[in-house]
Amino acid sequence: MASAGCTEMAAAGYMLHPACRVRQEGFGLLFYDSRGPRLLFAETGNLLDATFIENLHQENELPVHLTGQQKSSVDKFIRQLLERGFLREQ
Amino acid sequence: MSNRFVEQGLRAPVNLTWEVTLACNLRCRHCLSSSAEPAPDELSTREALDLVEQLHQQKVFQVNFGGGEPFMRHDFMEILGACHERGIMTCISTNGTLIDAELVEQLSRNRLVAIQVSLDGAKKTTCEEIRGKGTYDAAMSALKLLARSPIPTSINTVLTTQNADEIPALSTLAEELGVTLRISRFRPSGRGADNWEELRPNATQLLAFSDWLGRNENIRTGDSFFSLTSQERQGLGLNLCGACKLTCCVDPRGKMYPCAFLQSEFFTAGDLRQQSFKQIWQDAEIFASFRSLRIHSCEDCKRFDQCHGGCPAVAYHLKNDISEGDPECLEKCVTSIADNGVVAA
Repeated sequence: MASAGCTEMAAAGYMLHPACRVRQEGFGLLFYDSRGPRLLFAETGNLLDATFIENLHQENELPVHLTGQQKSSVDKFIRQLLERGFLREQ
Repeated sequence: MSNRFVEQGLRAPVNLTWEVTLACNLRCRHCLSSSAEPAPDELSTREALDLVEQLHQQKVFQVNFGGGEPFMRHDFMEILGACHERGIMTCISTNGTLIDAELVEQLSRNRLVAIQVSLDGAKKTTCEEIRGKGTYDAAMSALKLLARSPIPTSINTVLTTQNADEIPALSTLAEELGVTLRISRFRPSGRGADNWEELRPNATQLLAFSDWLGRNENIRTGDSFFSLTSQERQGLGLNLCGACKLTCCVDPRGKMYPCAFLQSEFFTAGDLRQQSFKQIWQDAEIFASFRSLRIHSCEDCKRFDQCHGGCPAVAYHLKNDISEGDPECLEKCVTSIADNGVVAA
């Protein structure tokens, strides 16, 4: 199950890369990577709060209000962040 | 880079250029802010720390400190420390003359700082012609100390007609030192305006530089060279002017401007002694006008999607109009060379 995958990923100890920052914007989340520097505009709307990403290393659960489909989207999104280097293992 | 998102107006800049003082122990001929003596009414320590807290509240990701020479400010380390305590990333542009082993050790304690040391020639004579006597050795000494530390360090070179031929050698020098090379664009502001004709790179040099940049993707440019650089480089995201969209500038007195090259009364967005950072960023009319700025005269150009008209500051200083296209764009360099009968390499 996709949402379980994400929960497992968070529990497995992923975190925002120390060179990266994230904040809430009207369109969703804005990521900054000082190593480029590069930006990632993530059109996530209200799906995720920036604090969820910032505290990913402490999170064991996805936000409870998310539907199954939304959890699946979040799962995919987190994998993309990992691939692009915005997240890393703790 | 997505124009759609930035044109909506971000809640805060991604990064901020903060010229913390006008005080400088050098008199570089290309200085963008004519730095020399400190301004009489520079922000106090308390005011500067209050600004850091505001930047934190607004979640500004990075502060790029410049001046003047930032280390000339007696409280600079306190301001820097306040940024780091709040997780704000920092980059310091310095001439390197005040950097010694003790300072490097102090700076090394925090991993949120990067340093750019100005060096304007691979040859001592070239560098000192622009920056003054003793500057080459001082910068090299600082670079060697920093290269041995964990601090991400770069040489910062302003491209001028004097050093244009030495850029590949500077790249080699950076590699030998174990630092990176960042090339900045020379713009006609501050003392740079007084010495513009003497120092500006010519069209052939700009074109050669563009070609060289295209073949050296590890070189950082960081500012509006997107108007000059090859298409391949546009993939790095340097394809629009970030002023008022992604960045802005705070001067030593707390006045805010679109960028460091447009620090005049006309471009003043607000005064941090009278308004909050958030208010100025969100409400200043001059910022709104930059966010909606369209360089219509460039729209038919085949490179428009790559540069969106280039640097408004250069257009302003040379044509007195920010809505004119960048006078130094790649296409204009080609035209200029063709008109003068010079064959481009």
